[in-house]
Amino acid sequence: MSQEVYEVTIWARGVFQDMEGRHATLLMANAADLGGKFVQAWDDYADLPDRVGVPLRKYVRLADEEIEMRFVYVNNNPSLVVLMDDTIVKGMNILRGMPQGGSLVVNTKRTPDEILAFIPNKELLANIVCVDASGLAADTAIDFMGSEGGVEVAAVGAGISAPLVGAAAKVCDRFTIENVVKVASNKSAAQAGFDAAQVKAL
Amino acid sequence: MSRFIIPKHLEVPLGACLPAPVKEQPGMITGNWRTERPVIDHEACTTCLNCFIYCPDACWHLDEKTEQMVWNADYCKGCMICVNECPANCLSTVNELEFPDGVVRLEKPF
Repeated sequence: MSQEVYEVTIWARGVFQDMEGRHATLLMANAADLGGKFVQAWDDYADLPDRVGVPLRKYVRLADEEIEMRFVYVNNNPSLVVLMDDTIVKGMNILRGMPQGGSLVVNTKRTPDEILAFIPNKELLANIVCVDASGLAADTAIDFMGSEGGVEVAAVGAGISAPLVGAAAKVCDRFTIENVVKVASNKSAAQAGFDAAQVKAL
Repeated sequence: MSRFIIPKHLEVPLGACLPAPVKEQPGMITGNWRTERPVIDHEACTTCLNCFIYCPDACWHLDEKTEQMVWNADYCKGCMICVNECPANCLSTVNELEFPDGVVRLEKPF
């Protein structure tokens, strides 16, 4: 019997959003872990080492039972896709492999309709969330320790990852905003992302 | 039989420029790295070719018929070196989502 695993793919821009993308996976996984889920969070192996501006993938898996997807290091069917930068909609087929009824969370100043105009396969989506995470949290310093096997030095969830994961909690029932606020170091930004998120059901 | 006799000091050295057999490499599209794009004001442009010289990806070239610079959306990574180097200040930086064109929708980053 196949396991039900909720897959999340986070797209970030290379180098200057690498750390924030990684922190978004850690926040989501830690928040779901507090809620009693089994979690996995990791970076795409093929995308690293990254170059400036390259679209990067970061993955999270959330499940009620122990995750038994051994030797599969990519999320082929993400139910939730998070974009750290809105211009990635023009560069990648971000909904590739998404099952019907997925969700999309975008860090943008624009409205959901402006983003949907760039997505040709938008019939896969059940809802889209737009939040101006860059306006709600300051950009943090760039730190590569976590992606190169070292210990995370910078505080997890100090930058734009906190409001983005807070906004994702609005459409994802696998983790709650209370737990995101508990694990994020910038707690007010996580809550502000949840409150400011514009959800559009499709 | 007529023959060009080139003086020794005007001879073309080894490594002369020849037309390339292939001008684009579709397996190495880097247009999706871009968050902002350079927009040219053709009125102010003096076709000094600084953008052509400085572009690391050879995304600017001079169209000899119209005598205007042409930008290649598929390979421009948005480094904005051309905007920095333009002496006539005819290039400006505009966010990518302002334009419906220039979509490079790849299936995988690499």
